[in-house]
Amino acid sequence: MSAPEKAAATAHDQAQQSGRDASVCLAVSAVDKSFGGITALIDCSLEVKKGSITALIGPNGSGKTTLFNCITGFYQPDRGQIHVQGVPIAGRRPSDIVHLGLMRTFQVTRIFRRMTVLENMIVPVRQLTLRSLFSAAIKGHEAQRAEALLEFVGLQNLRDQPAGSLSFGQQKLLELVAALMAEPDVLMLDEPAGGLNPVMIDKVAGHVRELNARGVTFLIIEHNMGFVMNLCDPVIVMHRGTVIAQGTPAVVREDPIVLDAYLGD
Amino acid sequence: MRTPRILPLFALALLVALPVFVREGFYLDMLLFTFMYAAMSVGWDIMGGYAGYVSLGHVGFFGIGSYVGGLLVVHYGIPVFLSAPFVGIFAAVIGAGLGWVSLRARGTSFVIVTLTFTYMVQLLALNWRGVTGGSAGLYLPLLDLPGNLVILPFYYSMLILLVVAILVSIAIRRSKFGLGLIAIREEEGKADGSGVNTSLYKILAFAISVSFAGAAGALHAQYLNYVDPDLAFELIITLNLIIMSLVGSRGTVWGPVLGAFIVQPLSQYLIYLMPSEIAGQVHLIALGVVLVLVVMFMPDGIITTYRTWRQGRGETRSTGTADATDASLPGAPA
Repeated sequence: MSAPEKAAATAHDQAQQSGRDASVCLAVSAVDKSFGGITALIDCSLEVKKGSITALIGPNGSGKTTLFNCITGFYQPDRGQIHVQGVPIAGRRPSDIVHLGLMRTFQVTRIFRRMTVLENMIVPVRQLTLRSLFSAAIKGHEAQRAEALLEFVGLQNLRDQPAGSLSFGQQKLLELVAALMAEPDVLMLDEPAGGLNPVMIDKVAGHVRELNARGVTFLIIEHNMGFVMNLCDPVIVMHRGTVIAQGTPAVVREDPIVLDAYLGD
Repeated sequence: MRTPRILPLFALALLVALPVFVREGFYLDMLLFTFMYAAMSVGWDIMGGYAGYVSLGHVGFFGIGSYVGGLLVVHYGIPVFLSAPFVGIFAAVIGAGLGWVSLRARGTSFVIVTLTFTYMVQLLALNWRGVTGGSAGLYLPLLDLPGNLVILPFYYSMLILLVVAILVSIAIRRSKFGLGLIAIREEEGKADGSGVNTSLYKILAFAISVSFAGAAGALHAQYLNYVDPDLAFELIITLNLIIMSLVGSRGTVWGPVLGAFIVQPLSQYLIYLMPSEIAGQVHLIALGVVLVLVVMFMPDGIITTYRTWRQGRGETRSTGTADATDASLPGAPA
């Protein structure tokens, strides 16, 4: 058994058990996903520990975003199992998975451009109840939380502006705090630092750290290695649709398999 | 940017009092049809404007409402004024069923399914002769009222239908449900990923949306004392609803109302002016021209265009209150 296969096999075993393990809030075991003839994920397994800021890195095309889409219900895996908070998510739609406490952002920022900033904050739903559906939207506790979160990222003065009029960086921050409105236990960020200037990147990192201290678990896809190495532990490395290494930033950085994946071929 | 609260109430009071002063059937008839179309268009806009899903099937529900209301009168003697709300609910249930079939998928298949649905129920009405009377139609007993008063119950019940439709639309626009619908229109995948159960929202919105067409159909059947498959399922009725929404502004509470109050009186007046042999065709051509002009020169409709224009002149939008109804929302998604 080659080293990457071994790593994958270990991760697989771990993940199979961790479906029921309370300290694991997300477990992916042996997931395959292909599109026509292209295999995007093959025997992909990983787990995310509660309270961690886990990074998911890997070269372009290694399957990170596909994995995100499988975890969040946008794609159905061809094979394998995914557990969110111990619940198998096979066949569930994306909104159901949000109701389990897992929320995501998108690589290409997706906001509701023609809604106001504040309205964007009110859209997310953690729990679907008739009462919450038909009561006035922008009112009471929820509105206060929205205001507080906007203040947290410095967008409070823009709350009545159309979200599409915000700058790129502001839109990323809005997507981040809007995701928090669903009170997620796990937040998955797809390239939160992508396209941001260094000041903004530090700001995002600071927010992630603070939210993590308040109990939110993170799984973050990111290409900015400074961001990953400073913020995340553990780091999971994907290559060609599967996990090839994981560990602390220091360990992963020295791993020859990882270096080969990035520099090789 | 607030729609002054007093204006709608004033308009309502005026419309309630109007029959005291205006006795001419022509004008009351014109208003009654305006109310009916406005109510249905407000309903259509809940689905077509808020959620962005264009239904071509609303006349199907209008027709179902016509037949169900008519049959309840003919067989059980239940007046449509009592049955209309329940006919509306019945239409909503059918709408939920159709939505369940067609709305779990995203995108344009819904348009085709709703159009097909219209023809299916029309065929059913045509061929289920034992119940519907087939192409001969269904005659409803006349109301036992003096000729000059007979229009009044219809005038007021259509007005009530319109008020209810507007109130429902306002409530939805202010609710989290309404925001969810707009989120679906803006970015359906993102909405789903934000915990909005998009299928459920759309099905619910469609059910509410068609209920007004159902109730209106019942009242309309009694107004004409007659239903037949051509009259009840005329595609032009759906097109009217869409044109009215577009003219006034899609995705707003008052757009469809404004649109109906412009388009319907103009249509009816045009038909009245023309010799009867060509009135129908001229009317259709005029509607087509209106549609083309709106799409070309004011795709956002009157209300949204006006709001944008006012904002462009440095008007600030309402601040302080977090009243969702006031948020100017560009109406027509591309």
